[in-house]
Amino acid sequence: MVTGLGVVAPNGVGADAFWKATRQGVSVLDRISREGCGHLPLRVAGEVRDFDANIAIDGRFLVQTDRFTHYAMAAADLAVADAGFVPDENAPFGVGVVTAAGSGGGEFGQRELQQLWGEGPRFVGPYQSIAWFYAASTGQISIRGGFRGPCGVVASDEAGGLDALAHAARAVRRGTEAVVVGAAEAPLAPYSMVCQLGYPELSLGEDPERAYLPFSARAGGFVPAEGGAMLMVEDESAALRRGAKVRAVLAGHGATFTGASRWEESREGLVRAIRTALDEARCSPEEIDVVFADALGVPAADRAEALALADALGTYAERVPVTAPKAGIGRAYCGAPPLDVAAAVLAMEDGILPPTPNVTDVCHDLALVTGHARPAELRTALVLSRGLMGSNAALVLRRGSGELR
Amino acid sequence: MSNALTHTELASLIKNRAGITVDPQEMESRPEATFEEFGIDSLGLLGIVGELENRHATRITAGAEMSRTPAEFIDVVNSSLAAKAGA
Repeated sequence: MVTGLGVVAPNGVGADAFWKATRQGVSVLDRISREGCGHLPLRVAGEVRDFDANIAIDGRFLVQTDRFTHYAMAAADLAVADAGFVPDENAPFGVGVVTAAGSGGGEFGQRELQQLWGEGPRFVGPYQSIAWFYAASTGQISIRGGFRGPCGVVASDEAGGLDALAHAARAVRRGTEAVVVGAAEAPLAPYSMVCQLGYPELSLGEDPERAYLPFSARAGGFVPAEGGAMLMVEDESAALRRGAKVRAVLAGHGATFTGASRWEESREGLVRAIRTALDEARCSPEEIDVVFADALGVPAADRAEALALADALGTYAERVPVTAPKAGIGRAYCGAPPLDVAAAVLAMEDGILPPTPNVTDVCHDLALVTGHARPAELRTALVLSRGLMGSNAALVLRRGSGELR
Repeated sequence: MSNALTHTELASLIKNRAGITVDPQEMESRPEATFEEFGIDSLGLLGIVGELENRHATRITAGAEMSRTPAEFIDVVNSSLAAKAGA
């Protein structure tokens, strides 16, 4: 059961700001403004600009952590507050933390490695030993919140953002009352950007309105983003006992692996993931009211995703509304799927299909929502994700029992 | 010994290296107060030791980061600095 959403996204911090911009189809893709990045060929990305770490995070945690953990800690705070969850000091083992991570803290690591090679080993700070780790966000959220239940980190590529939610749901089924779960990334720093330049899928487009156009004939790759989302996932009876509103249900999940950049093969991987998720959710294809697509923006990958939907959903695939709000904010690696899940929860609550920003033409047999948001009765959403290294995942979400917003 | 570590300098190092605001007068007036009470762990202290070693181009006695109290830490650091000055 999802009871709270915490969002730190390029188009807004907090679920309300994020949803307002997402519903309006605002694109916030822009030229990268970070120091030391101007000479790199990657020009356009989704930067989180409306966020001051000094206000959001207390100093002692700030100095020990990278930007990706700042976002994750802030998103976790927002999710816990959004759920109205007050941790029981007498039951610290009832709350766990799970995050997905795709690259760890590259910016912090670069700074300390520059000290190492520029000044010498004695100039490397001790927090280098923890800040860049993939596990840093889970650990710091756990320490900061006093959440001592099952904790973990899912490192399974971008789709790990969905796998983490499934992992949290399993922890809840095994008896943990609540899990703070999601992912946030910070890939917009010089070293981190250089690491991405080797991806053939990366868009080096210079025009923010044309750099990332998934499912379009002009698709030429994806643009990266930073930020992400954390969710509060709770046991149903525990949530109801404390009077919490059930926002959505994590009904089914499936994950497969088909190899790095093998987009044609990702078709069958996605099909299997979708079928597994539908089976677990006991959901027929026709019950899906909206698909939040992976939408990589690479022609072969877009084609594979459209064909996968046709394989898994049959002729209904041509009618089911498909959307990709990430076209307006970029792909935040592991942070992208939790952002899509947050958008799906908000869309179901609001009865609104958010559009795919910037995309005006669609060259696949998909009912892609473009232009403006439109009202729709949304009870069930399918969220898809793929990673550059070959992971595929699908998640079926059901609208919660809570009253409509 | 003008190089000696003062409570004010330590408070500023704690702020910069461990991100924690500590009142130097409180540290000085309550010598029994522990780093733990102020929220500073050994990893934070290790960064402060490194900074002092670089600043004074000398080694601080090993284990300084395990000091329980600021008073104890200042003693260890200042005897290391004095040993260097006297060498």
